[in-house]
Amino acid sequence: MPTYDCPPTLNDTQVLEFCKNGFLMLPGVVRAEINQRTLDYLEAHPTGEPTDILLEDWFLQNVIVEPRVAGAVRSLLGPNFGLPTLMSNHRVQCPQPAQQWHRDGRSQMGPSLNYLQVFYYPQECPLESGPTELLPGSHQIFNQAKYMAHFGQIRGTYKAAAPAGSVFLTVYSIWHRRSASTGTELRNLLKFNYWRTTPPARDWLEDPAFDPRLVDYRLDGPALREQFKDCDDNAQMYYWLCGRSSEFHLMGGQGWPIPGRFLGGSYGYPGEVTNRRD
Amino acid sequence: MDNSAANKIDQVVEDFRQGRLTEDGLRQALEAQQTSHQRQDLLYLQASSTSVVASVVGMSMICAGEVIEGPAAPEKWPYQTVLAAIRDGWRVIKFPELALLLIGEGTVGLGCEFILEKWS
Repeated sequence: MPTYDCPPTLNDTQVLEFCKNGFLMLPGVVRAEINQRTLDYLEAHPTGEPTDILLEDWFLQNVIVEPRVAGAVRSLLGPNFGLPTLMSNHRVQCPQPAQQWHRDGRSQMGPSLNYLQVFYYPQECPLESGPTELLPGSHQIFNQAKYMAHFGQIRGTYKAAAPAGSVFLTVYSIWHRRSASTGTELRNLLKFNYWRTTPPARDWLEDPAFDPRLVDYRLDGPALREQFKDCDDNAQMYYWLCGRSSEFHLMGGQGWPIPGRFLGGSYGYPGEVTNRRD
Repeated sequence: MDNSAANKIDQVVEDFRQGRLTEDGLRQALEAQQTSHQRQDLLYLQASSTSVVASVVGMSMICAGEVIEGPAAPEKWPYQTVLAAIRDGWRVIKFPELALLLIGEGTVGLGCEFILEKWS
C-alpha cells in the first residue's frame, strides 16, 4: 500500500482542538484549476466510487498530498501514513431534504485515532447546496445509526459550508449528515480515508506555550455528556495521540483535567504520585 | 369528518327522534366521530436532563402526517423546554429511559429524550 511522509503542520493547540471537535476544516486549499479538473473527471465518471481518480498524478499531488492537507494528516496520524485506497463521491442533485443523522458503519468508540475520514469539495458548497452537517464532539458519544433516524435539529451543529477546494478531516465516528439543500445544482463531495502505520507520538509542531497540565480541555458547545466528561474524553484522546496512554489515569473529583482556578495546580496529573488511587 | 362518521351521526339523531337510541349505538357514533378526522402529532424533544425544565438540545416533530425538523436556529425552536410544550397541550407519552442513563460512565445517545403527542 502506498504511504507518504511530509512535515507536520499542526501544533499542540490545533491537535487538541481536533480531539475536542472531531473535525478540522481547511478552507480552499486546493487550486481552482485542480477543482475544475476534478469536476471534469467526475462528470466523465459519474459513479459513487470513482476510485481510479487516485491513480491520476495531478489529483494525487494536488489534493491527496497537498501540503496543507498532508501536513494535517501527518500531524494526526504520524509519519509514513497510508494513502487512500478507496474513493467515494457523494454526488447529489439538489434540492434534497436533510439526510438522516448517522455515524458511519464500523465506527468504534475510544480515544484511538488510526484513520481519518476526509472530505473534499471540488466546487463551492454554500448552505443552499446542503453541506455536511457535523455535531462537534460527537465522535465521543455512542449511538447507532438505526436509533438516530428520528433526530432532527440539534443544538450546536456545524454546517461545513465552504469555498471550492476545501478539505475537512474528521474522526470516523463523528455524527454527521447531508443538510437540506434548496439549490438546483449537482453537488459533488469526495470522501476518502488516510491510515496510521506507526505508533502515536507527540511529533507534531510543539507549541512552547502549551502546557497539558493547564490547558482547557472543555468542548466549547452545548453539554451533551455528563459534567466534565468532555474534559476527560478530550484529555484521553490527546494523551493517546501523544503515545502516553499507559500513563493516563483519571482520579475523578476535582482533579485534572477539569478547568478551575486552582491554587498551585490541580491534583491528579498523569505521572504524578497524586494521580493513582487504586 | 368522513362520510361513514357523518352517516352514523345522522343515524343517531334519527334513532333519538324515533325513541330507539341505544347506549351501544351512541358509543359507536361517538367513536366513529373521534377517529374519523383526528391525527396523532408527535414531538421528539431531547433535553439536557430528565427535568422537564431542562433546556432542549434537539427536536423534530410529526405534524399532520408530515415529518418536520423545525427551524435550524435553536432560538427559533417552538419549545425550549419540555414544560413549555406541556403547557401548549402536548402530552408526554414516553419519559427518558432511566435504566439506560444509569449504565456506568458511558455516554449514550443525544440527551434525555421525551416523546410527546397531540391529537389534531
